[in-house]
Amino acid sequence: MATINNQDNNNNRQINNVASSKQPLQTVKSVDTQSVLKRLQSELMSLMMSGDPGISAFPEEDNIFCWKGTITGSKDTVFEGTEYKLSLSFPTDYPFKPPKVKFETGCFHPNVDIYGTICLDILQDKWSSAYDVRTILISIQSLLGEPNTSSPLNAQAAALWENQEDYRKMVEKLYKPAA
Amino acid sequence: MTVDATSAVCNLGLLDSLSQHPGSVTEISHAWNAFCISTESVVSNCTSTNPDPSNFVSQVRILRNHGLQSLLQHHFLTTIQELFEKNSVSKFWQHFDAYTNVIDTDLIHEDEVQQVLHTALEEITLEKQNQERCLAMLTHALQFGKETTSEGSQKSDTDRVYLSSKYQLIVSSTLMTTLPRHFPQILHWYFKGRLEELNTSLDGEYQGLDRSQDEEDMDLDNKNKFLHEKSDTGSDKSYQGKSLENSKLVKNIGKVVHDLRSLGFTSLAEDAYASAIFMLLKAKVNEFAGDDYRSSVLDAIKGWIQAVPLQFLHALLAYLGDTLSNGRHSSILKSPLASHSNSLYPGSDAPSEGIVRWQLRLEYFAYETLQDLRIAKLFEIIVDYPDSSAAIEDLKQCLEYTGQHSKLVDSFISALRYRLLTAVGEPIREYLRGRKDTIKCIVTMLTDGTSGPGSVGDSLLEEINRDEENLDGAGLDDEISTDDKQAWIDAERWEPDPVEADPLKSSRSRRKIDILGMIVSIIGSKDQLVNEYRVMLAEKLLNKTDYDIDSEIRTLELLKIHFGESSMQKCEIMLNDLIDSKRTNTNVKATIKQKMQSGIDSRETDVPMDVFDATIISSNFWPPIQEEALNIPGTVDNLLTDYATRFNEIKTPRKLLWKKNLGTVKLELQFEDRELQFTVTPIHASIIMQFQEQTSWTSKDLAAAIGVPVDVLNRRVSFWISKGILAESFGTDSSDHVFTLVDGMIDNGKTGISSGNCEELAADEDGDRSVASVEDQLRKEMTVYEKFITGMLTNFGSMALDRIHNTLKMFCIADPTYDKSLQQLQSFLSGLVAEEKLELRDGMYLLKK
Repeated sequence: MATINNQDNNNNRQINNVASSKQPLQTVKSVDTQSVLKRLQSELMSLMMSGDPGISAFPEEDNIFCWKGTITGSKDTVFEGTEYKLSLSFPTDYPFKPPKVKFETGCFHPNVDIYGTICLDILQDKWSSAYDVRTILISIQSLLGEPNTSSPLNAQAAALWENQEDYRKMVEKLYKPAA
Repeated sequence: MTVDATSAVCNLGLLDSLSQHPGSVTEISHAWNAFCISTESVVSNCTSTNPDPSNFVSQVRILRNHGLQSLLQHHFLTTIQELFEKNSVSKFWQHFDAYTNVIDTDLIHEDEVQQVLHTALEEITLEKQNQERCLAMLTHALQFGKETTSEGSQKSDTDRVYLSSKYQLIVSSTLMTTLPRHFPQILHWYFKGRLEELNTSLDGEYQGLDRSQDEEDMDLDNKNKFLHEKSDTGSDKSYQGKSLENSKLVKNIGKVVHDLRSLGFTSLAEDAYASAIFMLLKAKVNEFAGDDYRSSVLDAIKGWIQAVPLQFLHALLAYLGDTLSNGRHSSILKSPLASHSNSLYPGSDAPSEGIVRWQLRLEYFAYETLQDLRIAKLFEIIVDYPDSSAAIEDLKQCLEYTGQHSKLVDSFISALRYRLLTAVGEPIREYLRGRKDTIKCIVTMLTDGTSGPGSVGDSLLEEINRDEENLDGAGLDDEISTDDKQAWIDAERWEPDPVEADPLKSSRSRRKIDILGMIVSIIGSKDQLVNEYRVMLAEKLLNKTDYDIDSEIRTLELLKIHFGESSMQKCEIMLNDLIDSKRTNTNVKATIKQKMQSGIDSRETDVPMDVFDATIISSNFWPPIQEEALNIPGTVDNLLTDYATRFNEIKTPRKLLWKKNLGTVKLELQFEDRELQFTVTPIHASIIMQFQEQTSWTSKDLAAAIGVPVDVLNRRVSFWISKGILAESFGTDSSDHVFTLVDGMIDNGKTGISSGNCEELAADEDGDRSVASVEDQLRKEMTVYEKFITGMLTNFGSMALDRIHNTLKMFCIADPTYDKSLQQLQSFLSGLVAEEKLELRDGMYLLKK
């Protein structure tokens, strides 16, 4: 039987203590643009790397505060096969205030009005700085399939939601994909 | 008493005769005093007619009859010498005082030099002739009354020869000992000037004979000018016949040479005109050859040699031959050249031996000069082929003559090397840029001084090093910092700049090739090179078992000079990590020793701490490290934990985070009949250690025990199989292999090979790299870019190349930062189009649906 004597040279890495980045919510107004840029930058990076299907967004050429978003309707919903363009406009005190998100493509949906305004709690009073572009887009994508019909912006859509087959026809009829 | 003055025996006889005739002593003393006085007057007044020759003759005769001939000869010569030294010599050199400190040839007015030299020579020659006349008088006095006997005439001839040779010796030694250092230079200038003048006239004739009609006008002008010039100086009309022997110019030169010879400057004169001839020849060859390779110039050069320098020499030797036969007085100082010239009859066509010898010398020199010229331009000549075939034919002839083929080979090799490196053509650059391994190869050459298959001189590191040494040398040129040996080597290497070289640039700055700069220009950016170097350095450092990084430090310092400190900062931090690691490691171990001394040491691990060394890195500055989960043996793991705890105690609040898959393990396998030593990676060690408890493992179980995927395990375990330590067999499940420890000598040949003490390094397998390679990094970068591109195209539909480029520049700024050129992006996008991920329509990229 073999006996094994070993000598080990191993390498390791020292931990660099990362300075805590917790910031009190009260200092909202004094947030400098630099950190907002950084935040949006890293959100873009994580969004690009996440590769979640059916959602995407990218800043416009010269302004990282204005993004264009794209959401495709999830499978097995009435919105399957459709693609909607969004615009996301970030405030300078982002992420302490939510971005303004609108549909650019007309969307026949109980919680979206004819101007593309979206009624979604996390974009209003339920906003938290823990959310980011990716979670917003995922939320909107799931909102498509699961609307809140109790307080609709589009009453017609809310009324039609019951009949999924007719709703689907309506979606197809009104859908105008972006060029 | 006609005795040999030098014989001691006769001198004794003389003393005997003196003692017998006391009256003769008085007579001698009178005669001697009188002789001294008249010698003084004879020597100092020899220019004028001798005041009292008869007295002098009688005094000489009395002394001679008393056997004091040698004494009086000696006294006479000494007097002459004193006078010569006092008057003539200093006066002669004074003529040239004006040129003592002249260094720049341009400031020399050649006509002036000629004038001064002529005057000085004339003066001293006159002086010399006068003195020779005095000598002749003494000879005559000594002869007086003896000419009747045949013995006497013979004797007088010996006296004459003796005296004149003695005198000649006095003249030349006096001049030689007082020779100013700039005199040879003056002679050189003189001959150079004369030869150029001669060349202008002879060349005109030569070309006039050779050239076609249309150029005759110009040649006539030349000739007329020359003739005009000659008639100005009052030359005799016979020159019109172009007879060179009568040319006043050659005559003048001949006279100068002759005078110089008679003063004992034979070799000095010969050196001077020979060097002038060679200089002229060299200039002529350059003029003929130039940068035109379309015509053969060898015949023209040979023709010129015949026409100008040989004509000149012919005439010169002929002239000297004439004077030699007329004036026999200088025959004892004949140079080898002069002796040949005796056989030369003026006007005769048969070339003398001297001329033939000169011709051979000149032709050889011409061949060599032309050959060197052509060899230096061989590359251009080859480029111009076949237009340049005439030049190649010339070169071939030259080489047949000189036999210096090796010179050609060496020169051509270095020419190719220079061109390949410096003037790398665009297609080659493109190719090098396109190859993935270009940068890696370059960096390997950088880090590994001896990696090249060729000589040490091929190593890039050496090359850069040498550049550095040159730079150092340039800074300290005049200091004695370089040792003598190096100075000698430098001196031997020195070569004059080519004629066409720009004199404003020093040869060093012109020749210095910034190899790294060139490489960087090929690759496009130094960052890529630095990055590749960093990866290689990381790999090297991580695989070190000691902390010896001297050579890495040296390389880094060199690269810092070329790339700047800031570019190499990360690498420097990496090296500092190693240095710090060494210190920390010692400190951590010191804590163990303390505990051992205080008796707290608990021997719960069977692996002692002192065989263990840790490398602690600041991972932010290192290239991405390959992560690979691994369960290492418990005892070793305990050791790591223990080490980490001690580290934390010393370096609070810092903690160690082990990269257990990295590093090297030296291990020894002990079997019943043998011991084997290996240096392996931790994963190899972990694998083999599992067999300590259990001699047979299925691949699935073993992978689980070690904590690695099965495919990784299969790859790693093959190392032990190849060493004959483990054997592989198929288990019940076809995908599951069984590995069994091979024990004892029951194995096949493999065991035999590795039995005994063998140390194997199991590195360099592709999968064993500690650091992500640059290609891996690049692939990772490109994946990021692809996602960004997909992202922007999803939201913006279609985009043009430069908009994509700008957008990436704008938003892809986190690690990895987008740093590609538009061209690189284009080729990357083309790749994506080829993969059918993108579509290119009217210059716009869009996602393929």
